[in-house]
Amino acid sequence: MLARRVLNRPRSLASPSSWAASARTVTACDVIVVGGGHAGTEAAAAATRVGAETLLVTQKIQTIGALSCNPSLGGVGKGQLVREVDALDGLMGRAGDWAGVHFSILNRSKGPAVWGPRAQLDRPRYRQFIQAELLSMPRLTVVEGSVEELLVSEPDPEKPGKHRVTGVRMADTGRIILARSVVLTTGTFLSGSLFMGQTTSPGGRMGDPPSGSGLSRSLKEVLGLRLGRLRTGTPPRIFKRSVDLSLAQLQLPDQRPTPFSFISNGTHCKPEEQLPCYLINTTPGVERVVRESLHLNSHIQQDTRGPRYCPSIESRVLRFPGRQHQVRLLREIPALRKAEIQAPGYGVQYDFVCPTQLFPSLEVRSAQGLFLAGQINGTTGYEEAAAQGVWAGVSAGRRALSLPPLSLSRTQSYIGVLIDDLVGRGITEPYRMFTSRAEFRTSLRPDNADLRLTLKGYCDIGCVSPRRYEEAVRMKAGLSEALSALQDITLSPTRWREKLPQAAVSANKSGIMSAEEVLQYKDVSFEMLASAFPDVLGPYVEFAERLKIEAMYRPHCEKQRREIERILQEESLSLPQDVDYLSLPVSLSQEVRELLDRVRPATLGAASRLPGMTPAAILHLLNYITRTPQRDRSAERSSTPDPQNLSDESRDSFPCVPVSQ
Amino acid sequence: MFFFYIYNRSRASHRLWSSAPLCATDTIFALSSGQGKCGVAVVRVSGPASALALRGLTGPDRPPAPRTAALRSIFHPQSKEILDRGLVFWFPGPHSFTGEDSAEFHVHGGPAVVSGVLDALGSLPGLRPAEAGEFTRRAFHAGKLGLTEVEGLGDLIHAETEAQRRQALRQMAGDLAQLYRDWSQRLTQCLAHVEAFIDFGEDDLIEDGVLDQVDNSVAQLQTEITCHLHDGRKGERLRSGVQVVIAGETNAGKSSLLNLLCRRPAAIVSPIAGTTRDVVETCLDIGGFPVLLSDTAGLRETADAVEQEGVRRAREKVEQADLTLVVVDATQLPTDPLQVPVFLGAHLLAVLPHGVGLEESLRHCILVLNKSDLLPVEQVEKTQTFLNKNPGLPPASLLSCHTSHGLENFMTSLQSRLSSLCGDPLAGTPSLTQARHRAHLHECFQALGQYQQYRDVDLALAAEGVRLALTGLGRITGKVGAEEILDIIFRDFCIGK
Repeated sequence: MLARRVLNRPRSLASPSSWAASARTVTACDVIVVGGGHAGTEAAAAATRVGAETLLVTQKIQTIGALSCNPSLGGVGKGQLVREVDALDGLMGRAGDWAGVHFSILNRSKGPAVWGPRAQLDRPRYRQFIQAELLSMPRLTVVEGSVEELLVSEPDPEKPGKHRVTGVRMADTGRIILARSVVLTTGTFLSGSLFMGQTTSPGGRMGDPPSGSGLSRSLKEVLGLRLGRLRTGTPPRIFKRSVDLSLAQLQLPDQRPTPFSFISNGTHCKPEEQLPCYLINTTPGVERVVRESLHLNSHIQQDTRGPRYCPSIESRVLRFPGRQHQVRLLREIPALRKAEIQAPGYGVQYDFVCPTQLFPSLEVRSAQGLFLAGQINGTTGYEEAAAQGVWAGVSAGRRALSLPPLSLSRTQSYIGVLIDDLVGRGITEPYRMFTSRAEFRTSLRPDNADLRLTLKGYCDIGCVSPRRYEEAVRMKAGLSEALSALQDITLSPTRWREKLPQAAVSANKSGIMSAEEVLQYKDVSFEMLASAFPDVLGPYVEFAERLKIEAMYRPHCEKQRREIERILQEESLSLPQDVDYLSLPVSLSQEVRELLDRVRPATLGAASRLPGMTPAAILHLLNYITRTPQRDRSAERSSTPDPQNLSDESRDSFPCVPVSQ
Repeated sequence: MFFFYIYNRSRASHRLWSSAPLCATDTIFALSSGQGKCGVAVVRVSGPASALALRGLTGPDRPPAPRTAALRSIFHPQSKEILDRGLVFWFPGPHSFTGEDSAEFHVHGGPAVVSGVLDALGSLPGLRPAEAGEFTRRAFHAGKLGLTEVEGLGDLIHAETEAQRRQALRQMAGDLAQLYRDWSQRLTQCLAHVEAFIDFGEDDLIEDGVLDQVDNSVAQLQTEITCHLHDGRKGERLRSGVQVVIAGETNAGKSSLLNLLCRRPAAIVSPIAGTTRDVVETCLDIGGFPVLLSDTAGLRETADAVEQEGVRRAREKVEQADLTLVVVDATQLPTDPLQVPVFLGAHLLAVLPHGVGLEESLRHCILVLNKSDLLPVEQVEKTQTFLNKNPGLPPASLLSCHTSHGLENFMTSLQSRLSSLCGDPLAGTPSLTQARHRAHLHECFQALGQYQQYRDVDLALAAEGVRLALTGLGRITGKVGAEEILDIIFRDFCIGK
């Protein structure tokens, strides 16, 4: 039924029904997104939100939004990403609220900055939500098919890059689709191999056909990108009826589920209808089976980097045995003594593109118009994929509409941290988000993602709907009114002790204290203050939890502000991407020149973080950027094919403009 | 070109003012005059708390008129102890070197007075010791430096960073280094444990016991740091003076040079290669400059374990030196003068540290070609003439420790290097470095307090405390990273798009 909706929708593009009929016909759109996983769906949705006519190419419409591995969304660090994707009006948070059947906040006892909202999901419901959203989205067309290769032409000489990607050629029909931007989100399908026991077959996910080798060739041979290989895996699925749950440890959801989305009125699943989770532990027998069957497991023996952090059985003991061994292994666990496998676990190896070859907009440095997001950049996890997807979609859409590229700062969002880590440092193992990766995590909290991103998302980025924007504006106004009301209530410590005995205000405290300071006390809630001052604070009870968190963190965030400002300013100083460092007429040592030439940092901030960079070199670079007019700089570029093309106009050589603060 | 610059600045300040209140700038202080025997030492203060500093040290009455010398008693703001009587200046911004409010204290040049004034300034709220080149950078921000001066700023920062690096290395050698390294390792471990508990505590079976360990470590560290802070005088004695190191191959006559310079047989000399096995140090006054002269073991490959250690120490000394005297046996010189630079170059390469760039090392070195008495007279003259006009090499003197021939020439060259080194306030000002250490250790101590304060309330904020403590400790090692430089550049001043 969903597929029919696609067919029936009138499009500016040729509709898919006419596609089969006219092989090799050329059509065009603004943005093509290849892949319908978590990165691809968010990318397609974000590109359309920005205003681009978008085409999503996927092997099967039916598997759009599939949760290929575990059915869990969010968690510590990852939950922040979900909240941020939602704050930029992405799909993931709302889909999670619709499909979740077990909600809990991890790290509840460790401070709101590191709370990890997490849900266990109903897989079909999640898929349905994502598909329904995408298939009814204006400006978005979804087609089934495989992309055989990228169309590559000469670069736009006005911009950095050696090539320009102008579209894709489809595998079956040979049809050519032109686009101003192409987003690749191929996940594990790029030269993917599936491993089960000693058998190996091509593919990116069990049950789906492998992708052609053409894309890998396009990236490697035509565009000359550096690729690496990574490994991941997914556990076997077991019928619930065959598990003895009485031998498992019960894990209950939160009684009041917290939705992911800032605009959800609640979760679809009623609090009392949530399902419990069960925890089981491995036994020494499991370890024995794993060791005994290790020789039957070619996935693990091969030297490809896998995640150290994947919380699956494989990382705990050793790795996957073959199917019959999976049964043996599972049955070593008391609760699974009679386990029946519905689908066996398997390993996947796949190609990824070394992400240091990308701009912070996720555009490939050497290939204009080509954007990458998700596992193809070496990350792991739905949330990491979705976060990149949103940003690649925004960037691709903006490029198609001739809007300048933007970047998100690591001081403002986990998405910024993720992208900065990827493009700035690269990866050596599948990248997963942790809160400790964010230097400013006390400012980048799950509770305030809307204030950090939604307002900018509407005003500067253009990927947020008016409805969500208005809600964020209302929230911001409410919070700031309430905070000033709290600051305006000032009493002496003696009066506070009378008024709010629970607060335990110290007797030797002197001076006057505002209600905001009192709210910072561990045992004081906003509700207590509101009942003590019902007239002034009563109207803000709806914001109680957020106000408590704001009050707690504000002094610390103030302290961090200076550091954040410094980084923002460094990031605002972009280094030209095609400057020839080896011959730059600036006093730099040969080592520094070679370092800069090799890494090509996007900003002065990134350059200053390079090991081996000297303060004097940074100062000379700074002097060069701020004092040399761009016209002169462009003359020093190395990759200028034809001096004639250097017109007199000063052009913007900066890869990305940071989202305004 | 310059308009572009101005344009950026005005736009920048507009943005800063409009978006957020301008963040407060630290007030910094430092000894701005050179080290060595001098009648007057100048201590400079710059930043918004300069007026406070002036009032704090000279009393609330009779503030000096702007840019006019005034004679005042200078006392410690807490103990009220009189430190000195000297001239003070008040330069209200923007009419000052840095463009900020500034003050200067011109006091008597003795080390006790200078360190007393620096301690007094450090005890005032909002004041901290200046980092390398910080006054100059502030002047740069304020647009007080002309175009050509700015061009030279990179080199200046480079030189100052280099001086500070040597200073840090010097201090970091020995027990103090061991102590800081140990603290830093323990703090890193604490942070790693807290982070692990936050990111993986929920699913990955990390027990609460991990945090108890961290609690213990943090408490222990706090005690140790407090003890250290209150025990500053008993800590490792910081050596004052220009560090001059004699280095070279075995049997080149290094110990003879030492003995010649101190006019007494301070080191054993013998014709046997490898006589000196340890570092021999002696304090000297050369032309009025305090010098700590070290003789080191001759550099050679050796199987003797004691001598190997001697060679290691020699290399370490050279790393820390302000000035290295590379001694070469002149009898080994090639007879063809054209071959001499290559020969000497190879010697220098073998002796000087490579880590910081050879060019930098060359600037801090004098070549001493010893045993000239063993050369034929005409070769001595030819070689000396040749050396005098070869600019590719560091200053070189041909002399004989045996007959003292050529000593005068060498002393002139040595004194001129010493005077330029002592003009650099960073070459060996232990009190300033010590004040910086104390400030950062204090930061570290307070940050650990934040951990304890939030341990049971909010682990994210507690972890932040450990992270800050580690940063504070990291600054002590004297590492002046590119980020610190940019920190100051961007703090007050918005450049770019």
